[in-house]
Amino acid sequence: MKTLDLLIANPSARHRIKVGLRTGLAAFGGYGLALLGAAAFAAGLPFDSRPDAVSLAIMIGFVLQLIAIIWVFAAATIGRATLGLAIPAALFGLWLLLLKAMQTS
Amino acid sequence: MTTFDQARPLRQSMSWLHTWSGLLLGWLLFAIFVTGTLSYFRNEITFWMQPELHSAQVVPTEQIAFVRALALLAREAPDAQQWSLTLPSPRNPTLGLSWQQASAAENSQTSPGATRERGVRGAAAADSAEANRAPSNDMARERPNRREARGENGARREGRWRERGAEGAQSPDSATGNRPAFDGAARERSTRNETRGRANGAQSPETATENRPASDGVARERPSRNETRGRANDAQSPETGQQTDAGQQRPGAGARGQGQGGGGHRGPRLMLDPASGGKLEGRPTAGGNFLYRFHFELYGMDRTWARWIVGIATVLMFVALVSGVIVHRRIFKDFFTFRTGKGKRSWLDAHNASSVLSLPFHIIITFSGLVLFGNMMMPTAFQAAYRGDTEASYFREMRARMAPSDMPEASGESAPLITGLATLIAQAQETWGGARVGSITITHPGDRNAVIELRQMNSPSIAKGGRIVPALRFNGATGEPLATPALPEQNAVQIVSNVLNQLHRGFFATPVPRWLLFLSGIGGSLMVASGMVMWTVARARKTAKSARAPWGHRLVEVLNIAAIAGLMAAIAIHFWANRLIPADLPTRADWEIRAFFIAWAVTLVHAALRRPKAAWVEQLACAGALTALLPLVNAVTGGLSLPASIERGLGLLAGFDLCALVFGIGMLYAAYKVHRHTPRTRIVSSPPEEKPGPGTETETDAPPSEAMEEAA
Repeated sequence: MKTLDLLIANPSARHRIKVGLRTGLAAFGGYGLALLGAAAFAAGLPFDSRPDAVSLAIMIGFVLQLIAIIWVFAAATIGRATLGLAIPAALFGLWLLLLKAMQTS
Repeated sequence: MTTFDQARPLRQSMSWLHTWSGLLLGWLLFAIFVTGTLSYFRNEITFWMQPELHSAQVVPTEQIAFVRALALLAREAPDAQQWSLTLPSPRNPTLGLSWQQASAAENSQTSPGATRERGVRGAAAADSAEANRAPSNDMARERPNRREARGENGARREGRWRERGAEGAQSPDSATGNRPAFDGAARERSTRNETRGRANGAQSPETATENRPASDGVARERPSRNETRGRANDAQSPETGQQTDAGQQRPGAGARGQGQGGGGHRGPRLMLDPASGGKLEGRPTAGGNFLYRFHFELYGMDRTWARWIVGIATVLMFVALVSGVIVHRRIFKDFFTFRTGKGKRSWLDAHNASSVLSLPFHIIITFSGLVLFGNMMMPTAFQAAYRGDTEASYFREMRARMAPSDMPEASGESAPLITGLATLIAQAQETWGGARVGSITITHPGDRNAVIELRQMNSPSIAKGGRIVPALRFNGATGEPLATPALPEQNAVQIVSNVLNQLHRGFFATPVPRWLLFLSGIGGSLMVASGMVMWTVARARKTAKSARAPWGHRLVEVLNIAAIAGLMAAIAIHFWANRLIPADLPTRADWEIRAFFIAWAVTLVHAALRRPKAAWVEQLACAGALTALLPLVNAVTGGLSLPASIERGLGLLAGFDLCALVFGIGMLYAAYKVHRHTPRTRIVSSPPEEKPGPGTETETDAPPSEAMEEAA
């Protein structure tokens, strides 16, 4: 966020922007990750019954959302915060793609 | 001030997160906590709100007027396919009767393609679909119907509330409360019965939201059956509805419900004095269901939106809870620390104590609340598991966990029904080791193959779906015992879901756990309230220095007053309105609710106009006095007075009145404390004053806690 420091001189405005960015990332990134994670677990959990997979995936989704939000505010920089969401999101996405490929093949 | 993107301890970040996630929708959370907590006793509240029923006699089972009740059923509903009796319980002393008319789709359970049944399922699916926002053909088909149905009432609000009444009635929960409303509504709607009935059933939020997402047994069952159930089985609504559904969850019951309920018409619900068998007519009121519904879908707005708002507030609560625990280094030690009269420090202690004392409850109630909204908030789970498949299959699979019904068909030969229900009850209670019977259903009454089914009152285990209860069956003509359907097996996921759902909704709760849940809920309300107040106390120093409080602080202050003290006053007014609005005014049930919101709005205006300290004192005193006077209001407006209800053994009424007295006096005491409070004046002497509670000083000497420091 060095760039931000250079761009905006007013420290209070800078602070607000940083808080705003984190909040946005936590809200949307956290929810997005949760949605992806819930999808990945619902599709990937080895249950015979799909309703069971769905209910467990929903629970995992909410926990993921919680962890994601806390992580976003705990991370040292916003870049790391983003990375911390992006990596698991990419993994979940990959997993979903794999499952889809397996399903269709 | 926490500066992000700079080296800072984790606890500092978490403290910031705790403060702001807690504050953002804290006012709403407080309202959700309070109304949700009261919902643990909503049957009791509903009963209190219908003083016409207070005359019900409490009698032992063998003295219940079953013969008269059965005669009444035979007179009112000779052709019904199923009769249901809800036995008097500690949570509702009346004997409830309802019935289910035979329907065209009677045998549809065997032919899955039956249009009728599909329609019903469709509607159910639609509803859930609405909650879930998942695509579904059924939904597309059914929805317009429903819109229409809703809109038809012209005054949509009113329509809506009626609809609620109706749902209530269908859902056992409202056994008492909504009944009359439902009747009224039913009458009025007779023309559109078809659509509406369907729509409502489907909609019954219970189903849609709470149960459905619950994901476990309960959820699984309900979607499809919902409507059916509502009509057929819910009728039995033993107390909370819990068990009612219980039956339905059971294999037989479920399928049976479907078969019968498909297009069936549900008759009215009657309430009888168990001793005399005489009818009791309760006034129309939403009863405890208003508060119950409010706690997860607010009021007067689109349900889906309301649920999302509540869902988001719940996520914030979850974040605030967990970040609060992280912040809290000495969680155990602090629990034993309470420093009174130390201003901010004391508020912190109060906040910690109320939080930590029932921390497991807070975490579970929050998480399970989220899970109840799961299908709506995490739609991708369903979509991913059922890629390319429809919602209908989701519900079908949920249902598939239940065994098929083994309820015999009617023989067509008539045979008199036995009337010795008390004997069967005694037999069942002996079989169950003393567990009480909650409801009785009689299928094919008057037929040689009539089946009398007795269901246990309370869910036997917290791990079972709340609605799964043991049952015993007897032949209705001979009294011979019949094979009893086994309870379904459940796997680990279902058990986890059940426990979450049960703990949230208290299905399993016999009196002691119910009171513990209630007290934990109060703890949660205090936790939220003390946290909100602390936000302003922590900033009081700064505020006091400047001539005028920053607008943000002023806003929080005003909202705190109206959201905390004001809500209490509004709830009290709601109960007063229940007694002061004439019992025969047609729109009275709506006016009770309007009175609540008008009172709440007035407290907001009052808080904005008065100085904070004055506003706190006046509103707390007002709420306290109104609440403490409720037992008196009850006694003089036709209800059973407190001494009389104690003498008669009506614990639910005595409990309401005593709680009102205790809470009322508590609030009066808080008002007195705030009134007497003078801030320690080492600080600047100026307006912003603090609230009620143990220690109210804006003090300076005690070292501010680390957490607070950072928060501030």
